[in-house]
Amino acid sequence: MELVVALGLIAFKVALLIAVLLLLPLPLTWMERKIAGHMQQRMGPMRVGWHGLLQPMADGIKLLTKEDHIPAEADRFLFKLAPILALAPPFVVFVAIPFGETVSVLGAEITLYVSNMNVALLFVFAVIGLEVYGVIFGGWAANSKYALLGSLRTCAQMISYEIPMGFAVIGVVILAQSMSLVDIVRAQADLWNIVYQPIGFFVFFVAGLAEAQRIPFDLAEAEGDLGAGFHTEYSGIRFAFFMVSEYVIMVLVSVLVVILFFGGWNGVLIPLPPLLWFLLKVAFFVYLFMWFRFTFPRYRYDQLMTIGWKVLLPLSLANIIITGIVFS
Amino acid sequence: MSRALDRVGTWVGWAFFADLASALGLTFGYMFSRSVTMQYPDKEKWLPYARYRGHHFLKRDAEGEIKCVACELCARICPCDCIEVVPYEDEKGNRRPAKFEIDTARCLFCGLCEDACPADAIALGQQYEFSSFSSRDLVIGRDDLLLKPGKAASGGGVVAARLDTQKTVLVEANEPRGYNWWRNIRRR
Ligand code: SF4
Ligand code: SF4
Repeated sequence: MELVVALGLIAFKVALLIAVLLLLPLPLTWMERKIAGHMQQRMGPMRVGWHGLLQPMADGIKLLTKEDHIPAEADRFLFKLAPILALAPPFVVFVAIPFGETVSVLGAEITLYVSNMNVALLFVFAVIGLEVYGVIFGGWAANSKYALLGSLRTCAQMISYEIPMGFAVIGVVILAQSMSLVDIVRAQADLWNIVYQPIGFFVFFVAGLAEAQRIPFDLAEAEGDLGAGFHTEYSGIRFAFFMVSEYVIMVLVSVLVVILFFGGWNGVLIPLPPLLWFLLKVAFFVYLFMWFRFTFPRYRYDQLMTIGWKVLLPLSLANIIITGIVFS
Repeated sequence: MSRALDRVGTWVGWAFFADLASALGLTFGYMFSRSVTMQYPDKEKWLPYARYRGHHFLKRDAEGEIKCVACELCARICPCDCIEVVPYEDEKGNRRPAKFEIDTARCLFCGLCEDACPADAIALGQQYEFSSFSSRDLVIGRDDLLLKPGKAASGGGVVAARLDTQKTVLVEANEPRGYNWWRNIRRR
């Protein structure tokens, strides 16, 4: 009986998580377009619903009813597989993400995470790395030069930036003496990691921008020079898969930044519910991502590589050494 | 010396992302500025300035007679060759246009016809909504030109408007003056 209840609870959490994550891009696209509009002295969507609130719905319906086109020369199997490969890993990662400690519902204590793995951080990095397969396959299978160039860039970019990203969190792991995300947040109850790890945060955040393929590192889909990069040839719902994946990764990177460096659900000064604190911080970083997108130009490819290997990697290594010496 | 200091200052600024921060500040400021979008045609509409060069109109004199003396100077000066005037002599012995046609499809709204006219008979008014499905409808004759709206008295504002597609596509403005669009936007 116990087991059944526990399993049912997990199934419920997973279902809830999937539903929320699938619906999340709707408000996020609206937000992004509104922010883009206002930063460019436009208004953004205004016509569908109040201030364009229903615009994402309209776009979704449009994408669902569009022709699902597969190029004649494409590798059909990989072409169909790629969007799913791009979509699944970001969802899987959220299994290991804690959103808070516990809430009591009807007298029962329910934890706000699906699982508290003791290697959660490793799991996150392992699974998030799989997302690149969707992008690479998508670009390769489409058999188009723009898509291929986009996915080649992604390949190099992901390899270059996952290394400093991985190194950047080692400082956090040293501080928390654990790789479990719950323990990492608990260790920040008094003082957030950003105080001890400013370099680590900087490296992680920049690498996260590159990982989420947002401006200024969105070379994979650089619309200026590659059409739309790896998803040039995609249309309809398959294209929507890539977009959903992109937004979920954006949220994921924000969540990771908050958990690792900004104290997770630990609040300061104002006593809000922990979950609310957490969501507020995540929302701030999501906004930051969008703010960056409409402020900065895109880096050139060689600049991207220079930043990755000559700036972020040495910085992250120095961060490990300093943290190790100071806290040993 | 001070140049060297300046350079050091620049490098220190770069090290702490002063350039990126100022860019972010700029976009943030714009985010809360008034947008330049005019929600034409079903919510807002722009009223032209008094000097605006819109659709031509022909004027009448105090007796209600058409002012044009069919001298054809406007037709001569028109760089697009889009005015056609055919004169006749009316009952009082005055020279008047029997036919006065402007092909607004070819007109570039330079206003030279207005400048050239010795009788102050033609001018470019405030009307700017005269799109049409056929370029033949854009050839406007004498009687229609007499009915076209004249110069705007004031203008340069954005007013609330309503789109009326019952009879013809018509954007109705409900107030005489709105907010000054040009003053309201943020420029740098
Ligand atoms: S405005 Fe210029 S182009 Fe148009 S009719 Fe007059 S002279 Fe010709
Ligand atoms: S409108 Fe003026 S310039 Fe043109 S024919 Fe008449 S009087 Fe002459």
